[in-house]
Amino acid sequence: MTVGRGDAAGGPPSGRLTPGPTCRVDFSRPLAFRFLGRPATGFAGDTVASALYANGVRIFGRSLKYHRPRGLYTMEGESANTFMAIDGVPNECAETTELREGMSVRAQNVRGDPRTDRFAFIDAFDRLMPAGFYYRVFHRPYRLWPLFQNGLRRMAGTGVLDPRLRPDRGSGADGAGRRDAGVPAGGRLNADVGAGRPLNADVHAERYLNADVAVIGGGAAGMSAALAAADRGLRVCLFERRARLGGHLAWRVRGFEGEPLHERAERLAARLPAVETPGAANAAAENVRVFTRSPVTGVWGGNLVTGFTVGGEDDPFRECHWECRAKAVVVAQGCMERPLVFNHNDRPGVMQAGTAWRLARTYGVRPGNDAVFSVADDLSLEAAADLADLGVRMRAVADARDAGRQDPKPVAALEERGIPVLAGWAACKVTGGKRVSGCELRAVAGAGSRRVRCDLIVANAGWQPRIGALASAGARLAYCTHTHTFQPAELPGGVFAAGSMTGLRDPRAIEVSGRIAGSRAAQWCAGTGVGRLPKGPGRPETRAVTERAAAAATEPAPGDATTLPGPVAGCGILHGPAIGRGRKAFVDLDEDGTWKNVRESAAQGFDMPELAKRFGGFGLGPGQHRVAGQNLAMLMASLRGDPASAAMPTTVRPPLVAPGMATLAGPGHDVHKRTPLHCELAARGAVFRRAGPWLRARYFGEDPGARGEILNVRRNVGLLDSSTLGKFRIFGPDALKALQRVHISDMSRAREGRCKFSAMCNDMGHLMDDGIVVKDQENDYYLTTSSGRAGSTVEWFRYHTRYDGWDYHLVNLTDVFASITVAGPNARQVLQRVSGDDVSDAALPYMACRRIRVAGGIKARCLRLGFVGELSYELHVPSSHCQTLWNALVVAGADLGIQPFGLEAQYCLRAEKGHVIVGAESEQRVTLTDLGMGWMWDREDTASRKVGAPALRACEKQPGRMKLVGLRVDEGQGTPRDGALVVAGGEIVGYVCTTRRSDVLGWQYGMALVREERAGRGGTIRLFEDDGTGSRATCTATVVPMPFYDPEGERLRG
Amino acid sequence: MTFRLTCPVCGKRDVHEFTFGGQERGPRPEQEGLSAEDHFRWVQFRMIPGAGAPQREWWYHGQGCGVWFTTTRDPATNREAGDDGGEG
Repeated sequence: MTVGRGDAAGGPPSGRLTPGPTCRVDFSRPLAFRFLGRPATGFAGDTVASALYANGVRIFGRSLKYHRPRGLYTMEGESANTFMAIDGVPNECAETTELREGMSVRAQNVRGDPRTDRFAFIDAFDRLMPAGFYYRVFHRPYRLWPLFQNGLRRMAGTGVLDPRLRPDRGSGADGAGRRDAGVPAGGRLNADVGAGRPLNADVHAERYLNADVAVIGGGAAGMSAALAAADRGLRVCLFERRARLGGHLAWRVRGFEGEPLHERAERLAARLPAVETPGAANAAAENVRVFTRSPVTGVWGGNLVTGFTVGGEDDPFRECHWECRAKAVVVAQGCMERPLVFNHNDRPGVMQAGTAWRLARTYGVRPGNDAVFSVADDLSLEAAADLADLGVRMRAVADARDAGRQDPKPVAALEERGIPVLAGWAACKVTGGKRVSGCELRAVAGAGSRRVRCDLIVANAGWQPRIGALASAGARLAYCTHTHTFQPAELPGGVFAAGSMTGLRDPRAIEVSGRIAGSRAAQWCAGTGVGRLPKGPGRPETRAVTERAAAAATEPAPGDATTLPGPVAGCGILHGPAIGRGRKAFVDLDEDGTWKNVRESAAQGFDMPELAKRFGGFGLGPGQHRVAGQNLAMLMASLRGDPASAAMPTTVRPPLVAPGMATLAGPGHDVHKRTPLHCELAARGAVFRRAGPWLRARYFGEDPGARGEILNVRRNVGLLDSSTLGKFRIFGPDALKALQRVHISDMSRAREGRCKFSAMCNDMGHLMDDGIVVKDQENDYYLTTSSGRAGSTVEWFRYHTRYDGWDYHLVNLTDVFASITVAGPNARQVLQRVSGDDVSDAALPYMACRRIRVAGGIKARCLRLGFVGELSYELHVPSSHCQTLWNALVVAGADLGIQPFGLEAQYCLRAEKGHVIVGAESEQRVTLTDLGMGWMWDREDTASRKVGAPALRACEKQPGRMKLVGLRVDEGQGTPRDGALVVAGGEIVGYVCTTRRSDVLGWQYGMALVREERAGRGGTIRLFEDDGTGSRATCTATVVPMPFYDPEGERLRG
Repeated sequence: MTFRLTCPVCGKRDVHEFTFGGQERGPRPEQEGLSAEDHFRWVQFRMIPGAGAPQREWWYHGQGCGVWFTTTRDPATNREAGDDGGEG
């Protein structure tokens, strides 16, 4: 391996290493971006963090409380130090976000430049901020607390959301709007929301997957598990958070069994399909779907794995939320490093071994020139030797483990390079302020110290498994005194762990553990599948797979597992030597929790990790179950005087990796139904609103009050698209029985050619729905429901007849038939012109129903009803003929003043008539009788066991109920709106359901639910309104009889 | 909350396909002579199963075949009786 600072063509650019075989950065593709507004250059394959580091950035941001300078510490997004605002979006993780052309990157929790932060002085006042200070300090005198609170909030924190940054959803499908997403509503370009935002920046997709086995982690163990399960014919989904498979083998060049480790990983990966590419080379690969850039957010009940995929350059989304229902789950998430707690261990220039290693090997960035290693495991020693090969001068390598506990191979490799390993030593103090200038090393036990000048300190206390997914799946974790990590003591059914997180380090042992886990997952699928096969119908292909998997269950465990090295001994060091009070020794970098804070917390009784977490904030927020997790548990156990085995981890809470809020919000597709007349109504200027599953025309033109439409129905004739009405056919030997059960009226009185108006109640006697029932023949009925209830009518009928075993069919015809309502004094004339049949009052009286032919032969069911209080006909025709009928009606009524009317007009028209809409004038406190609709109830019938009848009987004479009353608002006192309260004697006694000013009546009417004692006719009630903006109004109204309009019903029958 | 239920027609499906229909409480009582108290009991009263005790309950497969069925489920673990956590 040669190291160079290339200037010749083809060499690496300035500041970069000659790319080795594991380098993922393409130096031929430079990407320009800005940091703090200054131009910088990275390359394709960089993350934001690696590009910044290559550009000489060492201070990435300032810490939460103390505003200490913070640099690149982890490389996998495990610390919040490097959360940044990227293209205006706060709290983006620079370590894992891939660099794009034109990105704008800013530091967080900083006033000005992170190098010269104006709040940096706070670090000197840490004594004012002991553990739990937020709850304890600054509260006296109490009146000053708001001042302190606001100050603290300003000075502490992470990102700030830019309210100008909002997705431009209204731009339609042309994509042009998305291109302008960076332009805020005001029109001025936000400098931070620049060209770096990709076209798909605002697209958030979602996906639902099914698999036999879900594998979490695409390292050697995960890949082996996936292949083992796929070889047995099972369908596998493999989720890897990084952009590439391979885990920690992907950047290791050490030879193992005759080949470099990264090639070994590539060989495994080659057996798997490329990301989501069908038609892979071998049969096993066909069963595997690989998802990279896909962190898992949680494992839930029934082995549901959730996570998200970050969109790459070619993906049509920014992030995609997915949920994978699996029968078995293999967790092989590997390890992260356990931080070594020592003084000033948070200085920029102190980093984890994997960070330095990956900077050099994956991104071709020199992590530093003079390095000190203070580590506690063999992998980090291998990293030291490898970095030495890349030209980093090793000033000292300390290993906290005693001499003889190291793997001799990496020790020998270091000694070959002239680097002695200080066994039993560890870092105790960092010198340097904004950058590391040196390090003090001490013997862990005994005397001896040494100061070394350096610009890079690589420190850890060994490795801790990523327990997040296992813990969220419900595994019980216990401290293992051999590996000094938390290990699963008990796994939930169908969940298996494999790989380095189980303590294995030998690459072959890791692979074999993956194969074993994959096989056991297959056995689990087989074992449970076989037991159930006879029950279900079992598709042939499923049966074949399960049988193959069952065969696998009898195979012996693969590989010579017993002869491979097992879990390696870990290091139980709690903190660096001579830590003193630990004022600046950070346990939790994200929340600025020091060793001193941890001790303070324990001293005040918060000596369990869960308590300390709340009190001192250790491992809260972005640090949840990340770097601080295991250290906090171990330190707390030692402070309590318990043995290490008593250490308890804090509860893991999803999401394990935070997706964007927009990702959780989802793509925001508005899934709705359109009536067959939608385009026709839109062309006529309809303004639509959502009504249940439908989009319905609310009004036409400019007036939301639809006053013109209302008057036209009263004076001439209007057309309403009522296609959304629920329409059903119920037939079969027991159809009448079912109707009698569910409907409150006596349905045996439904006659052929007549509309029977009835209602449905629930068991409490509340009005659920109303509609028309028409008898077509014996035990064959046609019925309508309100638009909103159409979707639950089948469920409702079947629920209330579920014990009876009745033989009937209920068919939902809602979408099959469209409906047009022709209403107004001229309605009959219009109808006569489009139909050859006799529609005279004698042939088709009020509440009659006939089948007629309209518009040149379309078969229509014509129901003469009066919901809007005028002569009106509902014409139910097959949906495909609806437009033809509409056109015919419009032509026929042209000289009769025909105009369409919408939902608002219908709402007002029926309210003038005192007709109730379920949900508008009914609610969960009022029964059918309270609404004055008790006349519908067939009170003699007990044999049918009508739903709601006993409740109605019990409530009928009950005192103190609410009643529906009509109101006439007294003139000259303002105009109350829907929802105004009815008050009496300082008490709320009801509310106004609907109120409108009527041009036809010439006064403001309303319907209100009020307590019975206030519901007397002629009485005066007070209305009170508070519109929420501080404006309050009261006025009086008189209780009047309903209906307000045409009380004799002459217009209906005319 | 995420678990799966066994529909007698469709097999094991995600719970979001189903609507809960309450505890099994026996058929609708005869209304002749039914007191308000007894009716109230039948409508409103629920048993609270003890820890680890499964309950018999109704579910509607609304996003599937549209059948009402009963199943025995332990509300503490969301496991159906006879369910070993695997695939059916």
